[in-house]
Amino acid sequence: MEKYSHDIVIVGAGLAGLRAAVAAVEVNDKLDIAVISKLHPLRSHSVCAQGGTAAVMRDKDSFELHAWDTVKGADYLADQDVVEFFVQRAPREIVKMDHYGCPWSRTPDGKIDQRPFGGHSYPRACFAADMTGFHEMHALYGKATSYDKVKFYDEWFATSLLVENNTIVGLTAIDLKTGEMHAFQAKAVIIATGGHERIYEFTTFSHTTTGDGMAMAYRVGVPLEDMEFVQFHPTGLVPSGVLITEGARGEGGYLLNANGERFMKRYAPEKMELAPRDVVSRAEQTEILEGRAFTGPYGPYIALDLRHLGEEKINERLPLIRDVAIKLGGVDPVKEVIPIRPAAHYSMGGIKANIRTETPISGLYAAGECSCLSLHGANRLGTNSTAECLVFGAVAGEEAAKYVASKSFKEMPHEKIAAEEKRVFDEVLGSEGGESVPALRDEMRRLMNAKAWIYRKGDDLESALKEVRELKKRFKNIKVEDKGKAFNTGFTAALQLDFMLDLAEVTVVSALARTESRGAHSRLDYPKRDDEKWLVHTLAYYTTDGPKLEYQPVTITKWQPAARKY
Amino acid sequence: MNGEVLKVVEFKIRRYDPDEKKHYMSTYKVPIRKGTTVLDALNYIKENLDGTLTFRHSCRMGICGSCAVNINGKPMLACYTQVLDLNADSLTVEPLSNMPLIKDLVVDIQPFFQNFRKIKTTLIKPAEAFRRENEFPQSPEELKKFWDLTLCTKCAVCYSACPAAIDEKFLGPSALTANYRFIADSRDEGLEERLKPMTDNVWLCTSCNSCTLFCPKLVNCSDSVIEDRSLIVEMGAIPRTVKDVLESVMKYHNPMGTHQNKRMEWAKDLNVKTFPNVTKADVLYFVCCSTAYDIRNREIAKTMALVFGKLGVDYATLGEEEWCCGDHILRMGEKGLFEMLAEHNIEMFRKFNADKIVTLSPHCYNTFKNDKPYKDLGLNVQHYTEFLAEALENGKIKLSKPLNRRVAYHDPCFLGKRNRIYDAPRQILQSINGLELVEMKRTRESSFCCGGGAGRVWTEEAEQEKRPCVNRVKEALELGVDAIAVACPFCVTTLEDAMKVLDVENKIAVKDILELLKETL
Ligand SMILES: Cc1cc2nc3c(=O)[nH]c(=O)nc-3n(C[C@H](O)[C@H](O)[C@H](O)COP(=O)(O)OP(=O)(O)OC[C@H]3O[C@@H](n4cnc5c(N)ncnc54)[C@H](O)[C@@H]3O)c2cc1C
Repeated sequence: MEKYSHDIVIVGAGLAGLRAAVAAVEVNDKLDIAVISKLHPLRSHSVCAQGGTAAVMRDKDSFELHAWDTVKGADYLADQDVVEFFVQRAPREIVKMDHYGCPWSRTPDGKIDQRPFGGHSYPRACFAADMTGFHEMHALYGKATSYDKVKFYDEWFATSLLVENNTIVGLTAIDLKTGEMHAFQAKAVIIATGGHERIYEFTTFSHTTTGDGMAMAYRVGVPLEDMEFVQFHPTGLVPSGVLITEGARGEGGYLLNANGERFMKRYAPEKMELAPRDVVSRAEQTEILEGRAFTGPYGPYIALDLRHLGEEKINERLPLIRDVAIKLGGVDPVKEVIPIRPAAHYSMGGIKANIRTETPISGLYAAGECSCLSLHGANRLGTNSTAECLVFGAVAGEEAAKYVASKSFKEMPHEKIAAEEKRVFDEVLGSEGGESVPALRDEMRRLMNAKAWIYRKGDDLESALKEVRELKKRFKNIKVEDKGKAFNTGFTAALQLDFMLDLAEVTVVSALARTESRGAHSRLDYPKRDDEKWLVHTLAYYTTDGPKLEYQPVTITKWQPAARKY
Repeated sequence: MNGEVLKVVEFKIRRYDPDEKKHYMSTYKVPIRKGTTVLDALNYIKENLDGTLTFRHSCRMGICGSCAVNINGKPMLACYTQVLDLNADSLTVEPLSNMPLIKDLVVDIQPFFQNFRKIKTTLIKPAEAFRRENEFPQSPEELKKFWDLTLCTKCAVCYSACPAAIDEKFLGPSALTANYRFIADSRDEGLEERLKPMTDNVWLCTSCNSCTLFCPKLVNCSDSVIEDRSLIVEMGAIPRTVKDVLESVMKYHNPMGTHQNKRMEWAKDLNVKTFPNVTKADVLYFVCCSTAYDIRNREIAKTMALVFGKLGVDYATLGEEEWCCGDHILRMGEKGLFEMLAEHNIEMFRKFNADKIVTLSPHCYNTFKNDKPYKDLGLNVQHYTEFLAEALENGKIKLSKPLNRRVAYHDPCFLGKRNRIYDAPRQILQSINGLELVEMKRTRESSFCCGGGAGRVWTEEAEQEKRPCVNRVKEALELGVDAIAVACPFCVTTLEDAMKVLDVENKIAVKDILELLKETL
């Protein structure tokens, strides 16, 4: 084992991680910064973001309005100080992206163009055709790699955080190319490892979005906040789950049930297809449950109809969607409807962090989808996530850079490192049981889809919890078929499943406890929002017997909870 | 995923075990349904049949660039390829080329990404410009100038397919395109800085078009490299070898540096009609500088004349008025010179009344068909292999003598990849009695360039092992053939050079199809 030392180690090279790296060097170009990522940075999930990034860029729009939209979208569970700060910082980020070279779509007079998006009452989604995240990522990566002081560890898999006296001292990671584990010493660590949607079977997310950082933070005592809130996107392509961007509806697409009806008029007569995601997904799920969906070889589906937009507009504004529908769904949206249904799409919950992205552990920061600040509350608005990654990725970089200025490296905890080596190599890779990792993973995913999906019930969640715990036991008895050292993807799949099982458990426990319906969390047995009791954030702490829940009030600055109607 | 199993496809996968340093093949049978992608199939194998199979993947939606592999010799994204679309019962899946192997289908992508570190992948402007608090204005039209080039996912498909990339000095199609993407961006002001890292290696590109052909996002890398070169030419930062070629064309109207009055020397014993003595014929025979001047290649020109004669075709050449077609020159980035050549040739085409033009070289063929201003004329042009294949089919040529040779056909890029003429040359070879036609491992669309395109035939300076022609001849040697058949004078030159370099001239020869044909007449 070799030891690596860097002032700041960033885990994750998606939008949040890369933005943090650039922000940190910009604060202090003497700092030695490392970015560790289990994927090459450009393979990060962020490249999949399509529709846009929200920011107030016009006089007719206002911070107040963006903040209000976000708070309302969040079903009042967002911390409003975070929201207000966020909306003010977002425009700066859009301009930064432009300065790094992001090819933003433009208005005829040369400004960055904006389009409407669900839940936003002004067209404030800046976009680069329908490949927004892709272009932001390439712009950021291009910028980040222009600094010599940012060292990239591509295809290094972080396995654990090292914490002493409630202060971060480093982490352990495996160099996938060699299969060797190494210890990183750091004065500050920023976690930017993305969401955990792969705990579900039907999801829009990349295969690699397995919530590793959330689980690592949880295991060293950082609470996971609001994990019961998982967003379901209304338009996952059947059968792969690949996202058909909300932009498709933003550009005028219809949702139809099997009767050819634009059923959204019964659920959100004003906003129709552009109502917030939770509203649209629930409407679809109701149509499915009540038998008004289409039936196909891959189960029930709803039709997303773009045909009336015409070939020219589809090619100009939604080229990727057309390509994806043809290549992955076998349908050409110019001629046919696209079969879709709701898919797990965003994790509002995550590593508890404050407005400065600080976690309760000194020197440990969290940004991007893995974190919960809480900006999105019970439901995120489309295009607020990439914006969050940029705004709070930058904050994390800046804060960490300031923090390390007065700090020195700490002694590395050799016992913990040895224990981690034992866990990873002996207990996971070396396990000689009979359980197959992919089979266990699929069981977990099916279970989460069946019992912790859009509509939830106490008894379902209770049985889900039992089953997840059963799966956790069975995990101890796995066998990784591939025993090789170099680039052992069977081994990393096992490590990821181990992380995901913890996260599935936290998600179910948090959902079971919250006996109300709010935002993306819909309890059929508790269909009403209950501000009296539940205007609070869930904090799940790791214990050996499973998560222990605590609650914390929501920060309210301006907007008192009111009924949420669209 | 459920749905009906439509067929079972055999996957033959090239494996590498780095711990044991062992190369081997594994074969699996995979049930295929509508919608099953190659990545789905690989995942099916890993999760059900063999947990040790190793490959990269992430987004499964064609945007992250992780899962590129070679499928039946062609690089593509596994997640973006429907198995049913490949129309095959058996598929061979191999790792990408030109990068070191790590394990199974996983290659080390660092050399590819290293190239992006040599260029600047962010806007270049004076520092104070970045203090501006809002965006740099850019009109939709300005955006359009480089938008298509921003779609590159850095999946390394182009790098894997690139013959020039066997020399690690070459930045590769993707990085060169990324560089041009910034040059073409109206917000960028770094032109000079951007040209520097390219000047010593951009010339290695042969314009074979593999990068563009296989790009999953249809990014035109090949043309971007030409744009890069054209700016370098404008700046005058070109190596001696390139300069010599351009000067020679400027002065003599051919890259061989010989006077135009020697152009018809190849035909001195033959009775070939030429412009301006004749101003009309059924066929205008466009000979090509290489076949007209190069002593070795003159045989090819003569044979064509002989065949025209045997067929009783009314043909003529432009004689001394045939100027270099300019294909190489355009691709070396000398657009002005190309235009001058094209204008002259077009004027001659106007003066000379021909029903059709037949070219010996795929390069002349290509530029007449695909490059403005020639393209705008809608010329009726055929490559000689098309012309001959037609004649054979109509029974107009009789091949009397058998030819007992084992021959591999090398697809010239400008005939195959650029113009999809794969069958005509094979038809001719197959009609030769006794000739055994062997396919090269890299064939048709996946053919490996000889290294002669875009002027490199005259400017080659790479170390011997890093020359595409050497690589290609080695591939042919493995087949145990006694000749490589080609249908392009530049392939003749480069491959013959490689044979000299490898000292295998007594084992294997390069022959233009016309030369083989001659032996059977
Ligand atoms: C299809 C799709 C479309 C979307 N469209 C939009 C949109 O239009 N607008 C919007 O605002 N949001 C959108 N989102 C949401 C948005 O894309 C994500 O929330 C956001 O990109 C998350 O970025 P991130 O930087 O937090 O994490 P990611 O981009 O997921 O990056 C995570 C990083 O962590 C690394 N990592 C993870 N685990 C480890 C480990 N153990 N060791 C080392 N490294 C590790 C990974 O390699 C990766 O680099 C979309 C999401 C999807 C699925």
